Amino acid sequence: MSNTLRVIWACARKDIAMALTDRLATIIGLFLPVNFLILMSLFVLGGGQAPTAVVMNDRGPYAQAFVNAMSRAHSFRLMPSSAAQAQNLINQGRIVAVVTIPPDFDTRLQQNQPVNVGVEINNLNTDFTNDIRRAVPLSITLFYASQFPNLVTVTPSEHDFYPQDTDYIPYLSVSILVIALMIGGLLQAGSASAQEWESGTMKELLLSPAQRWAILVGKMLGAFLVSLVSALIVLAVLIFIVGVHPVHWGEVLGFSLMTLFIFIVIGTLIGTLFKNRQPVLALSFGTAIPLFFLSGAFGPISFTTSAIQFIAKIFPVYYAIALMQHAFHAFTLNTLGLSGNLLVLAAYAIGLIVLVTIVLERSTSVH
Amino acid sequence: MFAGQNKFLQVLRIIWAIIKKDVVVWLRNPANVAATVLPPISFLLVQALGAAAVGRSPVALVNLDNGPQAVQITSSIVNANVFRIFQATPDQAKTLLKDLNVVAVITIPADFSQRFQSHQPDPIDVTVNNLNLDFTNDIRRAVPDAITQYYQAQGGSSPIRVGLVEADLRPRDIELFQYAVIPTTVMLLLIGGLLTAGLATAREWETRTIKEILLSPAQSGVIIAGKVLAGFITTFILGLLVLSIGYILGYTRPEGVYWVSTLVIVALVALFGSGLGVTLGALIQRIRPMIAVSINAALYLFFLSGGVGVLAFEPVWLQNLAAFIPLTYGTHALQMAVFYSSADLLGRDIAVLAGSAVLTLALGVLAMRRRIAS
Repeated sequence: MSNTLRVIWACARKDIAMALTDRLATIIGLFLPVNFLILMSLFVLGGGQAPTAVVMNDRGPYAQAFVNAMSRAHSFRLMPSSAAQAQNLINQGRIVAVVTIPPDFDTRLQQNQPVNVGVEINNLNTDFTNDIRRAVPLSITLFYASQFPNLVTVTPSEHDFYPQDTDYIPYLSVSILVIALMIGGLLQAGSASAQEWESGTMKELLLSPAQRWAILVGKMLGAFLVSLVSALIVLAVLIFIVGVHPVHWGEVLGFSLMTLFIFIVIGTLIGTLFKNRQPVLALSFGTAIPLFFLSGAFGPISFTTSAIQFIAKIFPVYYAIALMQHAFHAFTLNTLGLSGNLLVLAAYAIGLIVLVTIVLERSTSVH
Repeated sequence: MFAGQNKFLQVLRIIWAIIKKDVVVWLRNPANVAATVLPPISFLLVQALGAAAVGRSPVALVNLDNGPQAVQITSSIVNANVFRIFQATPDQAKTLLKDLNVVAVITIPADFSQRFQSHQPDPIDVTVNNLNLDFTNDIRRAVPDAITQYYQAQGGSSPIRVGLVEADLRPRDIELFQYAVIPTTVMLLLIGGLLTAGLATAREWETRTIKEILLSPAQSGVIIAGKVLAGFITTFILGLLVLSIGYILGYTRPEGVYWVSTLVIVALVALFGSGLGVTLGALIQRIRPMIAVSINAALYLFFLSGGVGVLAFEPVWLQNLAAFIPLTYGTHALQMAVFYSSADLLGRDIAVLAGSAVLTLALGVLAMRRRIAS
C-alpha cells in the first residue's frame, strides 16, 4: 500500500515540478481562469442600461416627471444633451438612442391632447433595439402611474420570487467561475498527460513495476494540485474583488473541488486520446466559449430553445453551474435539486474515470 | 537588365517556396486548423441556436375574468409578440413557474373588467422569477409594452396621450444572429492570421529549422516576406470562404461596389493578423504558448471591440478603449458595406486598418531580424 502511495505521490510531484519549470506555461496556467473571468465579464459590462441622450425642449413638471419615469425604467443611462450634441453622439455610435421631449409636452397634456415623444434609435441589432422599443412604453406607464393614477388604471403589480434582484455581473461571474475551473483543469491535466506521450516517457512509466491506476491517480493528483492554486486565485478574485459573497461557503468549496476534479479527469482523457498538447490546447480554448453560452450561464436553460436544452444537458458544465449558483446565491436553476445535480456529476466522474482507464489500456496495447 | 530580372524571379521563387511550405504544414496539422476555425465556428453555432429565444421570454398567462376588458387585454398580451405564451390555469401556472418552464406568471384577476369599468386601480399580477436582471427586466419592459398596446387599441378613447414616434438611424434592423456574423468573421480573420503566421514562425525556432533556412542563400527580408504572405494568403482564403458561406445562407450579401470595400477590409484585417502573428511567433518561439497567447489575444480584442454586443451599449471607458483596437474599425466597415451598402467613415476605417497592418508588419520584421541576428 505504502509503495502505491509512493508511486502516486512521485507521479504527482514530478508533474507539479514539470508544470513549474516552464515559467510561461505556469503563468498562463495559473492566471488563465482569472483571465477568463475578466474576459467574459466584459460581455456584460454594458448590462441592460442603454446610454441615451435626452433632449429636453420643455422643462415643465410633466416633462421632468417623464424623464424621471425613464430613469426608473431599468433600461436607460440618461444623458441630458442639446439636440446638436445628441445627434453628434448617436452619429459617432457613442449612444444608443435620443429621446426628444417636445416643447409643448406639458401644455398638450394639460389640455388632454395627444403628444408625441421622439425616439431616434441606433437600430444596429434587433435584440438591443427592442429593449429600447419596449422601455419607452414602460416609461409611459410609469409616468402615468405617478402623474395620472386615476386615468390609466391598468398597471402591472409585480411580485418577485426572490427577495432581491441579482445584477448581471454577480450572476454571470458565478457561471464564468465554472468555465474558468473547466479551462484550468482541462489544460493542466490534458497537457500533463499528453506530454508523457509526446516525449515518449509514458513508455518508461508503463514499463516500471508501478501499477497503472497508481500512475493515473498520481498524474491526476498533480494536475489537481496545480489547478487548485488557480482555482483559489479565481475564487479569491470573485469573492474579494468582484464582491460576490457566497450564501453557502461549504457548498462553494465542495462544488469547486468536484467541478475541478471532473475537468481534471476529462483533461486526462483528452490528453491520453490525442497524445499531443496542441489539440488539447485547441479543444480546451475552442470549447470554453460555446459551453459558456450553451450551459445556462445566463439563466435557467428551460427559458431558452429546446435545442440548447438538449445540448446543455449532455455536458457537466450545466450541472456544475446549477450547483454553483445555488452555493453563491441560493438559486434553483433546474428541477433536479442539489442531490440530483450532484448525482449526475458523480456519475460523470465515475464514467469518465472508467473511460480514461479504458483509453489508457488501449493506448498502451497499441503502443 | 536580365540579371535584375533573374534576381527578382529568384526572390519570387523563394517567397513562393516558403508560402507553399507553411501552408502545407498548416494544412497537415489538424490541431492548428481546429484551433483556427473552432472558436469562431462554435461561437456562430451557439449564436444561431440561441437567437431564436432572445427577447421573447416564456410566460404563463392566467385569465380569471371572462369580461370584455379581460378578453381584450389577454389578446393584447398574446399579440404583443414579446412573450412565448403558455395559457394556463392558476395551478398549472404555479407548476410551470416552480419547474422553471416560465420566467413569469401574468394573472388577469377575476374583477379586472369590473374594476376597469368603474375606473378603479386595476392591477395585473405579475409574479417574476427574478434570479437575474436580464430575464427580469425583459418582463418588466414587456408587460407595460403589452398594456400600452392594449390602450393604443382603444384609439381616440385611450386615456394615454403620450405617444412615441420612432426614427431609426439605419434603413433596416439586423437580426441578432446576422449581426453576429460580421464580428465573428473578423475574429476568424484575426485568429487565422495570428495562428498561421505565428505558428509558422515559432515552429522554425522550435524545430530549429530556422538555422537551415538562414544558412541557405535566401535573404532574411525575403524569408520574412514569405512568412507574412503565407499567413496572409491562408487567412484571406479563410475569410473568402466564410463570406461565401454567408452569401449562400443570405447573411453577408454586399451589393455592387461594396464587394470591393468588403474584400479590402477582409484583406487588411488578414494582413494585420499575419503581421501580429509573425511578431508574436518570433518573440515566443514556441508553438504551444503561441496557440494560447494567440487565442487569448484574439478573444480579448474581439470582446473589447464590441464583438458580442453593440459597442454603443458599453460604458464610456470601454468605448474609448475600443477606439484603439483595429478590429473595431474592421467590424464597423464590414457592417456598413454588408448590411447598409454604405461607405460611412470607410476612409477612416481603411486608414486605421492599413496603418495597423503596416505597424504590425514592421514590428514583425523587426522582431524576426533581431531573433535571426541573435
